[in-house]
Amino acid sequence: MLFNSFGFLYFFIVVTALYFFIPHKIRWMLLLAASCFFYMFFKPEYILILAFTIVIDYYAGILIEKQIEKRKKKKYLIMSLIANIGVLAIFKYYNFINGNITGLCNLFRIHNSIPYLSIVLPIGLSFHTFQAMSYTIEVYRGKQKAETHFGIYSLYVMFYPQLVAGPIERPQNILPQLHKENKFSFENALLGSNLIIIGLFKKMVIADRLAVYVNQVYHNLDTSTTLSAWMAAIFFSLQIYCDFSGYSDIARGTAKFMGYDLMLNFDRPYLARSITEFWTRWHISLSSWFKDYLYISLGGNRVSKLKWCRNILIVFLISGLWHGASITFIIWGALHGIYVLIESLFPKMTAPSPVIKLVGQLKVFVLVTIAWVFFRAASIDEAMHMLKLMFSTDFSLNMTQLAAGKGPFNLALTFLAIVFLMLTYFLPRDMQFKNIKSNVVFLTITLFLLFILSKDAQGEFIYFQF
Amino acid sequence: MHKENSSISNFRKYVIKILVPVLLIVGMISAAFCFLFEKKIILANENCGAYKINRIINLNDPTEIPIIGSSRAEASFIPEILGPNYFNYGLEGTQENVMLFFIKEECKKKNKRSSVIIANIDLDGINTKTGDIANYLYNSNDPEVKKLLGADYKLQYSIPFVKYVGQFENYLRYYLNNRMQLTKYSKDGAFIDKTVLPQKMIDDLIKYRREHQDVFLHEDKLKKEFFKTINENKGRYFVFVVPPYHSCYFTNYKNPEDAKAFVNELRALANVRVFDFSSVIYPDSLFINTTHLNYNGAVRFTKEFKDSLTTVKITNFK
Repeated sequence: MLFNSFGFLYFFIVVTALYFFIPHKIRWMLLLAASCFFYMFFKPEYILILAFTIVIDYYAGILIEKQIEKRKKKKYLIMSLIANIGVLAIFKYYNFINGNITGLCNLFRIHNSIPYLSIVLPIGLSFHTFQAMSYTIEVYRGKQKAETHFGIYSLYVMFYPQLVAGPIERPQNILPQLHKENKFSFENALLGSNLIIIGLFKKMVIADRLAVYVNQVYHNLDTSTTLSAWMAAIFFSLQIYCDFSGYSDIARGTAKFMGYDLMLNFDRPYLARSITEFWTRWHISLSSWFKDYLYISLGGNRVSKLKWCRNILIVFLISGLWHGASITFIIWGALHGIYVLIESLFPKMTAPSPVIKLVGQLKVFVLVTIAWVFFRAASIDEAMHMLKLMFSTDFSLNMTQLAAGKGPFNLALTFLAIVFLMLTYFLPRDMQFKNIKSNVVFLTITLFLLFILSKDAQGEFIYFQF
Repeated sequence: MHKENSSISNFRKYVIKILVPVLLIVGMISAAFCFLFEKKIILANENCGAYKINRIINLNDPTEIPIIGSSRAEASFIPEILGPNYFNYGLEGTQENVMLFFIKEECKKKNKRSSVIIANIDLDGINTKTGDIANYLYNSNDPEVKKLLGADYKLQYSIPFVKYVGQFENYLRYYLNNRMQLTKYSKDGAFIDKTVLPQKMIDDLIKYRREHQDVFLHEDKLKKEFFKTINENKGRYFVFVVPPYHSCYFTNYKNPEDAKAFVNELRALANVRVFDFSSVIYPDSLFINTTHLNYNGAVRFTKEFKDSLTTVKITNFK
């Protein structure tokens, strides 16, 4: 069930209405049942994978807390991590690793007889696995009490607004909220509505529109020019932002409506003036996960310069691998790691002028856009083809090529979508308007634009594949 | 008790201050917008699928001779060459289930002065393909349209205005094409690409077609219904036409004997006449791809078809 479908609208109305009608005591049951239904809409049998990791992590949490000896605590933590990473390894990385083994064997002319698995990647696997792991790690670190209520713990992993594409929550933020009784609140409902509407707008009006041009260019690189390649690369930078931040907005809005606060996942990332800053604004829940559980565990920046460089590269390579079992994602991660390392060679300016700030923002946007080419391309060859086009000198102004064969009307609508994206940057940061009147105006205009400008594509969110 | 009351008052506040004003204003603006859009864009645009569906259901022109079929009908027949009473109902992305819908609607009209119905045949069999949903939304509450859409019919299609969400662009695109006529010829329902493709592009398309196999395949139930409908309407005269394909279409064609058998099966019906142009070879420059003609191709084909049509007694006006 996609957030941008009528099916979800009906689902949301029914679940939210029921939520406020039934007593607090049994609300967890409703939310859990709704979350199961939501997840099973994609591929019902995969609920068993979720159930498996939930049971393991639930008992692991309790057992870790019970142990006094650190060694024993660690044993249960490792068991839990193996179960989670094992599921990820089988469903997400098995064929990738096997493919690489085959490649290696071919080099030495050895036949690799390890069979490939014919499996579909469970939706949102990387998200809920990481959320589950953050729970056992926090319990191990003593920062979180083990959850004894199995239903509430299951809900922590499965809470439907953020189940398939995050934000990847921390137990300290979500578990207490799941125990707390929520009443219908005007402020929550208003903020929830704002977030849902702006999220849908970003996805259905901006991201899906940009996707038409981007997909067309990537599918027809042979007939693309330098200009159309750059336009597609830039459009993809904006598309993926609107697609993913739109999803996060809807997730946060849906939860907020019922009184739950999910963490902010995007904070105007393209305003960042350095790649390091970019990663404090982009997919915050994942970058902070890597920072808290991997980067710091590796020693963070309290190590020698050389080891710090190693830590940065490890974190970004694994971050790339987290996104997908493909060399293109690894290169994407590596590029970001290299950007950060190069950036560290230059001293930070304490009070930069507005021009310097703008140059910094443009630099970040261009670097990130180039890296996105690897993220978007289906293969290394495709990425290299795209980059070759971008850095060639075919500046022909053939309208068919410039419009990527989709016509000038589509191109005009694409630029209109970008104007709308720019306008969203002028909205209040937390979507809280000064007064109700301006809030009503915002909702009315956005809803009407959504009504007339949304694309029918009902495209999946890009991050669902992870 | 107090908490419960505050919950209710909060809900009331949300409904009164946000939900009702927003939905009311958006509803009113959208209703006005849709009303104008339907009148000025959808219904003022003869090449738009929604217009064609509405026309076949609601317009009863006794002199009209309909041309029914898929995009191959839409892009092959130029009504103004055939005469003043022809209208091209061809719909892109559709197959025989939609053709059957058009035939049934046409056969409901009892005061026709011509019994002829012209329809194209695609050599991939009798199949179900409903095409773009935007074609059906204006008439989405019509029981026959609902039946045609079957499982594809969604709850929101019955809600006025909401049914158009995500579709406005489609209608506007047709409208602009119709108005500007830059790259398309658009008149009397015909919607034909004027582009003459460079030889390289044509060669690529030919290569692609030769690498892929085409099959003639039927859905038995639909085929039975198709023949039943023709037989039940003995008062109407069906002219089935196979417009030209690029010769490469048959290079890798799996079962030409089945296609031939089907055409002969149609020919055997008393109220049917078949014109098969599939073996007529047109030059590359008259195609927009290997299955569709461009405007120049459509002009040539329509003239040839018009000559053939003189052998059919179509002017049986009362």
